[in-house]
Amino acid sequence: MEQTKEIRREMTTIIRGKSRDGQLIQREELLEELVKQSLLKSEDIHQGSQFESALQQVVMENKDIIQLSGRNGICNYYSSLSLSETYAGILVRKEEDSLIAEIVRENSIIYPRPVPVNMFTQPPFELTEKEISDCLEKMGKHGDYQDIAEATTSAGTVFLYSNKYLDPIHAAMLAEWIDVGGVNNP
Amino acid sequence: MTLEKEEHNNLGMTVKLPDLGLIFSRRDFLFITGVMAVASTALDVWGEKGAPLIIIDHSKGLVIGDPTKCVGCRRCELACSEFNDGKASPNIARIKVSRNLHFGSGGVHTGQRGEGTWGNGLVVQDVCKQCPHPVPCANACPHDAIVLAPLTNARVVDPEKCVGCKMCLKACPWEMISFDSDKNKATKCFLCDGDPKCVAACPSEALSYVSWRDLTGKERPRVVPTAVVSPSKAQTCNDCH
Amino acid sequence: MAKPGGWAGKVLRVDLSTGRIFTEDTIEKYRDFLGGTGIGYRVIWDEVPAGTKAFEPSNRIVFGVGPLAGTGAPCNGRTAVTTLWPTCWPKQLVASGHMGGHFAAELKYAGFDAIIIEGAADRPVWLQVTDGKAEIKDASRLWGQGIRRATVEISQQMGPEACVAAIGQAGENLVPMSVVMNSYSHSAGGVGGVMGSKNLKAIGVRGTGSVRIAGKREEWEKAVNFHLSLLGAVNQHVVPNSPQPWAEYYGPTRWLASKGRKWGSAAPSIETGPCDPHNLNRISYRTNSAAFFLGEKAWRYTVRGNGCSGCPIRCHTVLKVPSVSSKYGISEIGQNTCVGLLFGRSFFKTFPDGPKGETAIEACMVGMHLADDLGIWDNYGQMQRDFQQLYYSGVVREKLGGEEFKGYSWDRYEAGDPSFLFDLLPKIADKRGELATSLGLGTGYHLERWGIPEKDWQQDPSVAYWKMGHPKHHSSEDAGQCGVIINTQYNRDAQCHSHSNFTHNGLPIQVQKQLAVDIWGSPDAVDAVAAYSPMNVYKAKMAKWSLLRKELHDSLSLCNWMGPWVASPLRERNYGGDDSLESLLYSLATGDRKSRQELDEVAERIFLLHRALTVRDMGTKEMRIKHDTIPDWIFLDPGGKASFTPGTNRMDPEDMKVAMDMYYEEMGWDKKSGTPTVKAYQRLGLGDVADELTKIALVP
Repeated sequence: MEQTKEIRREMTTIIRGKSRDGQLIQREELLEELVKQSLLKSEDIHQGSQFESALQQVVMENKDIIQLSGRNGICNYYSSLSLSETYAGILVRKEEDSLIAEIVRENSIIYPRPVPVNMFTQPPFELTEKEISDCLEKMGKHGDYQDIAEATTSAGTVFLYSNKYLDPIHAAMLAEWIDVGGVNNP
Repeated sequence: MTLEKEEHNNLGMTVKLPDLGLIFSRRDFLFITGVMAVASTALDVWGEKGAPLIIIDHSKGLVIGDPTKCVGCRRCELACSEFNDGKASPNIARIKVSRNLHFGSGGVHTGQRGEGTWGNGLVVQDVCKQCPHPVPCANACPHDAIVLAPLTNARVVDPEKCVGCKMCLKACPWEMISFDSDKNKATKCFLCDGDPKCVAACPSEALSYVSWRDLTGKERPRVVPTAVVSPSKAQTCNDCH
Repeated sequence: MAKPGGWAGKVLRVDLSTGRIFTEDTIEKYRDFLGGTGIGYRVIWDEVPAGTKAFEPSNRIVFGVGPLAGTGAPCNGRTAVTTLWPTCWPKQLVASGHMGGHFAAELKYAGFDAIIIEGAADRPVWLQVTDGKAEIKDASRLWGQGIRRATVEISQQMGPEACVAAIGQAGENLVPMSVVMNSYSHSAGGVGGVMGSKNLKAIGVRGTGSVRIAGKREEWEKAVNFHLSLLGAVNQHVVPNSPQPWAEYYGPTRWLASKGRKWGSAAPSIETGPCDPHNLNRISYRTNSAAFFLGEKAWRYTVRGNGCSGCPIRCHTVLKVPSVSSKYGISEIGQNTCVGLLFGRSFFKTFPDGPKGETAIEACMVGMHLADDLGIWDNYGQMQRDFQQLYYSGVVREKLGGEEFKGYSWDRYEAGDPSFLFDLLPKIADKRGELATSLGLGTGYHLERWGIPEKDWQQDPSVAYWKMGHPKHHSSEDAGQCGVIINTQYNRDAQCHSHSNFTHNGLPIQVQKQLAVDIWGSPDAVDAVAAYSPMNVYKAKMAKWSLLRKELHDSLSLCNWMGPWVASPLRERNYGGDDSLESLLYSLATGDRKSRQELDEVAERIFLLHRALTVRDMGTKEMRIKHDTIPDWIFLDPGGKASFTPGTNRMDPEDMKVAMDMYYEEMGWDKKSGTPTVKAYQRLGLGDVADELTKIALVP
């Protein structure tokens, strides 16, 4: 009893600590950490195991601990005390092909605004220019992403938007404003 | 003032603080307890022969500034004076940034070649060193108005005793004593009883409250102190040294 | 009498013609106008007759601060300088310039809420103000020197803590496009020549006093910390520029801090990091104006942020660009914010390495080096827009005549060589030659001199000109009709940020709309940028609120470049700020309890007095058609898009008529003429003003 309590306490600490560093933690990583601390054995990761039930309980008991699964089915955990849903949502999709398209659509829907392509080279995306251009090329050929469009500003900066949610002329104008207008209108 | 208590010092040692009543009765100035216990030679002035003589005391903590992070907003000075004195007044603030703000600690004669906004941008925060014994400001006070603040061991001006003679201002080599002309009292950094307002107020993490270390020999004085120590106080020095 | 809370209690009056110096009691005489522009407008109304010209000795120049200046209330560093405006065309009407820095605080510590200068000295002088005393000093040795030298020499006399507001050669030479500047980089535009006309080189201020906080210490501390907790980055942008671990939203804001972005020229460099808004000890890292305006490269040159007394935001950036020292022989250190930062760059159409390259940054460094020493003003970039337009359309060549034209190295100009600025800027300050002299007049007088109809400028969106010699300042591009209304109201560019700070705070439109319900009564007060809906009454309410908050800030000494604080970065507050923050701070500082509504009423009185002055000095009650005009380009779209379709800022003329109707109605002014009624004046305690205007038939 005491030991499971300690495992749960430690789990919470590890998840929150990772979140403070701006990262998610995967289920396997979490187990590894606990194994390192000799609280669990590495074979403990199966349904109904002590690890699993402790983890479930941790998520249930702590409002800030969130479980987030990627499309690959891998379970990630984070604490909403340090990580926003938005940020965690970016991290969990980092390896996914649809990341750029989804981010672009979100921006077109909620703000609404186009986003500069070079945003994806910055943290937390940190994609290389090659990765981005490969991805854009793939998207261009894929039926699911035909709404993703480009707008280029007078300064030559390329922005992306979803023409499903943002009128092309509106998008072009907003891109120009963000890239050039805003700076010229201090 | 607590006369007998156990205290944890910066080094993690527990030291026994002796009853100070006797010291006060025999001497006209503060020999307070603290963290550096000096084995006594058999001085009967300490009442109990052989008891540890603890004469050198210093503050537990210290505010230090990082000039590379200072953005020159003076919020530290404002927090110090507003939250402690109910008025905004960099002049009485116990942390001093304004005087280095424009031209740096070298003063205006450096033109645009020194520090500060007019120079290389660096703003040096002047802070009280919380000097160890002998404490220049306390020593210079003819009224023993600069006394130990109980929670932090910082020296603080006791406004009841201060008569506004400004001797302490002349004694500090770093010009860290302020003078509140509304009250006609001197004032100095007392570390806000262990939670310095200036540190909390800094918007660029340029100030820290850290364990005390002796900076007195390390930082260049701003002025040559001109205060004198009274002969009776000087005599007490002879008692020990 | 006990020292009042907030106010210093005295106003300093200096008559430079007679040398008479005396003081007035602030509270007795100006309490109903708070301070800042409030005192300024009152003095001009009472003492400067209609028809007075800006450079006449009878004009007053009022350096006014308010009860919050010098306190720990965040963002209190601005001094309002009110006077008849030299670049206001065709008549020089009342307006104010605003300088940050440490002047406002130092003035309070010296015991004054304002300095009112009248008359003109018969020889160059400067004014020394030290702890309740003032003295007129000889400035013959300073005359002809730049702002830098004048400041250093005065500081040598007064001590390094003194704050010096000085004019450069431009102001001395009565160039209307000139500034007064303090604390290295903080200037009030437009007023340098007014000081010059009075032979006043500088005002040096040193104070060792204090500003008393009337309220309880703990309550004040709580209020200050509450205000700090609501702060965003510069312009109260409350959303970070890129996704941050703590942030639900992100967007193209001026909140630039992020992992990997460093003050690269700090020694050693400092990472700005995620800057969670709950960490009040990292507020200063959120903003980097240089990186926002000059591009990513500026990070590497950033030494630190800088700014006003008491402000954690640091909207000025100290830059260290070593190459400019050998290339142009200027200091490798430079600093300023927005328009000041861009001063040099804005003259050029192109640079060899693009708009965000090294050369552009060098042009900024050269521009700051020259303009901030010579004391040249650029009228929110209008000087540079005029210059580009006139040069590239061939007008400059045509007007100058061969010899003067050849005197400039146009090859270097067209190639984007910053050294061209050494040709041009000193000539503007010295009024040397036709081109430089004309540029120094300001747009209205310049166009008139060159026989160019103002209409030409009002039809061309690229010059962004509004009216009366001045540009638009956050108009339709920022808040549709609300921005347009605001831009019709002043006698120079509007300088109002209440509305634009909200529009560009970075929050999603639905969140903004939710906040708008609380502030202006309906989500319909705001539209998404460039997706405007027709006018409604809530937009008029927002316009009125924006204008009143601007005047309130300019009178209390809160920064309207930062405030109001009605949005915050705090998710737990649903991103709401606090609309009664000003009232909380004012009440605690002064001890004079005023609710939000009561304080807004004072602001309205101040704004109305500005209106009354404009009516009186224009000598018309046809304000709607003669003053509150809208340039044609507001009703145009480069691609011919119709108004109220997504993707255009184009406004509709009929809709704008409705907008102005609604605005006048909100203000309680006569709708037909746009002129305040007797009732409107009386409601706000300006019965005396109404009486005077009635006598000269200037009320509807």
